[in-house]
Amino acid sequence: MTQVFPARGLARPPRPGEAVIKAFLFSCAAFSILTTAGIVLILGKETFSFFKEVSIVEFLTGSLWQPAIGKFGILPLASATLVTSLIAMAVALPLGLMVAVYLSEYAPWGVRQFLKPALEVLAGIPTVVYGYFALSTVTPLLRGMIGQDRLQVYNMLSAGLVMGILILPLIASMCEDALSAVPRTMREAAYATGATKLEVTTQVVVPAAFSGLAAAFILGLSRAVGETMIVALAAGAGPNLTLNPLKSAETMTGHIVRISGGDLSYDTIDYSSLFAIAATLFVITMILNLISRRIVGKRREVYE
Amino acid sequence: MKKRLLASLLALLTMAVFAQGKFTWVDSISDDKDKILPGVNPAKVTGSIITAGSSTVFPLSEAIAERFAKEGFAGQVTIDSIGSGAGFERWAKAGETDIANASRAIKSSEKESAAKLATPRTPIEFRVGTDALAVVVSSKNSFAKDITVDELGKLFSTATYWSDVRSTWPRKEVKRFSPGTDSGTFDYFVEHVFKTKKEPLLSAKNLQLSEDDNVLVQGVAGDEYAVGYFGFAYYVENRGKLKALAVNSIAPSGETVDAGTYPLSRPLFLYSDARIIQEKPQVAAFLTYYLTYVNDLIVKVGYFPAPASALKASKNALAAAMKGRY
Repeated sequence: MTQVFPARGLARPPRPGEAVIKAFLFSCAAFSILTTAGIVLILGKETFSFFKEVSIVEFLTGSLWQPAIGKFGILPLASATLVTSLIAMAVALPLGLMVAVYLSEYAPWGVRQFLKPALEVLAGIPTVVYGYFALSTVTPLLRGMIGQDRLQVYNMLSAGLVMGILILPLIASMCEDALSAVPRTMREAAYATGATKLEVTTQVVVPAAFSGLAAAFILGLSRAVGETMIVALAAGAGPNLTLNPLKSAETMTGHIVRISGGDLSYDTIDYSSLFAIAATLFVITMILNLISRRIVGKRREVYE
Repeated sequence: MKKRLLASLLALLTMAVFAQGKFTWVDSISDDKDKILPGVNPAKVTGSIITAGSSTVFPLSEAIAERFAKEGFAGQVTIDSIGSGAGFERWAKAGETDIANASRAIKSSEKESAAKLATPRTPIEFRVGTDALAVVVSSKNSFAKDITVDELGKLFSTATYWSDVRSTWPRKEVKRFSPGTDSGTFDYFVEHVFKTKKEPLLSAKNLQLSEDDNVLVQGVAGDEYAVGYFGFAYYVENRGKLKALAVNSIAPSGETVDAGTYPLSRPLFLYSDARIIQEKPQVAAFLTYYLTYVNDLIVKVGYFPAPASALKASKNALAAAMKGRY
C-alpha cells in the first residue's frame, strides 16, 4: 500500500498557536536590541549637542574638569578611572587566575563543591555594600598601615582594591571555564612524557586556554571601568589629575553619579557633558569587548 | 523727603479708612507665640503670590510655601531664585513682584527707585532668619584655631601647603572640601571670599566637591590637614568630630551670628509694602503664615532663627501694615 505524504514532509502540521509563540520569542530577543539601540541613540544625540559647544580636542586634552567655569577636560576623570581599574586588575587578575587553576587542576571534589558557591556569593553582594566596605573598613585599615597623613580619607587605592575583590569571582569563574575546556587527553599526554602536575598546569593547560583567559581579563577590565558605586563612595568627589593612588580623585562613573544627584537642569551644557562622559565610557568598554571577542576568535585552538 | 513721607503716611491712613473689611482668611486660632499676628487658614486664601530674589532665602520660602500649600492654599506661590539684587530690581524698579527676598538690607538707591514708581512703594522689612557658614577643620587638627577672610581666600585657592597661608602652620598639603557648585552655600562663599569669582576655588588642587554634606563632614573629620565649609547647622550636628575656626577672630555662635559680628553670617529678609499687603489679601496671608511658622522650619533648612526681638519687630510691622483688616 502506498501512502502519499504531504509536501511538508514528515513534520507534524504546525499548531495554530506556534506562530504566536514564535513572534513572542522574537519580540523578546528584539526588545534587548531595541533598548541598546535606544540608549545609543540618546547618548549620541546628547553627546553631539555637547560637542557643538566644546571642541573634541579640548575635551580629550584638557586637564581640568569643572563644568561650572566651563572647563571640560576629561583627563582628570579618565586618569582616575585608569588608576582604580588598574589597581582592581592587579588584585583580580593574579588572584582570579590562581583561584581558577586551583579549582580546575588541584582542588579535591569536596573543596570544589564548597568553593564555587562561595565565590558566587561574593558575586551576589550589592556593589553599594562593597562601597561602604571600602570607605569604612578598608580605608581605615590602610590608613593605619600607610599612615594617616599619606593616605587620604577618600582615595583610589582602597576603592581599587575593593573593586578587585568585586570582579574576582567574574574572572575566576571565566578562567575556570577556559581551563576546564582543555581536554583531558592533552593533560594525560603530558603526564605520559613524565611532566609533573605543576609543569602540566603551567606549560600545557594555561597556554592551551590562553584565549579564554585573555578574554576573561579584558571583560574584567571593562567591568572595572564601568563600576560605579564603589568609586563614587570611596574614591573621592572631586576631579583630580593624579596617578597617585593614595590621593582622592573622581572617576568618570563617579562624576556622573554625583552631578546627576544635584539640581541639574536639562538643556544645559553641564547636563549634556554627562552624556559626553557616558559616551566615552561606552566607547572604551565597547572597544575592550571587541578586543576580547577577537582574541577568542583568533587564538582559539580547536581540539578534537 | 519729609513731605513725601508725610504724603505716604496720609495715603496709608486713607487706605485704612476705606479698607474693604476683614481679610477672609483670618482664623480664630493663632499659632503665633508672640501673640501679635492673627491665625491663618490657608484653605481660604485665593489668588497668587509673586516673590523673587535671593537664592539663599529660596529654600526657606520654598519650605514655607510647600507647607502653605499642604495646609490648603490652592493658588500659586512663585519664588524666583535670581539673587537679592535682581529681586530688588523687580520689586522696586519694575514693581511687578509682591515680595522681594533678600540676604542683605535694601539699599537707599533701591528705596528711592521704589518711591518713584507709578504707585510708589515704601519697603517694609521683615527679618526672617540668619544664614551663617562654618569654616571647619578636623578635631584632630591642633594648629588652626582662627583665620582671616583673606587667608581663607588663599587657603581655598592657590595655597599648596598650610604654611603658604600662615608661616607657623605646618608644611602639609591642604585638602579642600566644598559644597558642590549647585548649592547656595558655594555661591555665598565665592561671593564673600572671592568676590563672586568661581575660578580660583574651582581651579584649586585637592578639591572635593559634594552636594552631600555627609561626604564633606567625613572627609574633613578624618584628615588633620583638611578644611571645609558648610552651613553652621551642619557643624552643630557634628560638633564632636569637627572644629569651627574663628573668622577674623570671631568664633561662630548663636550670639555672634545674632549680633552680626561673625563675618560669614548675614541676615535674611523679605520686603513688601503696606499697599500691596492691604490690596492683596493673599500676600498678607502668606507673610502672616511665614512669620508665624518660620522658626519651625528654618533650622531644618539649615539657617539660624532670627533674633527674637528682630522677629517680633517684623511681626509688629506686619500687624501695623494689616491694620483694620483682622
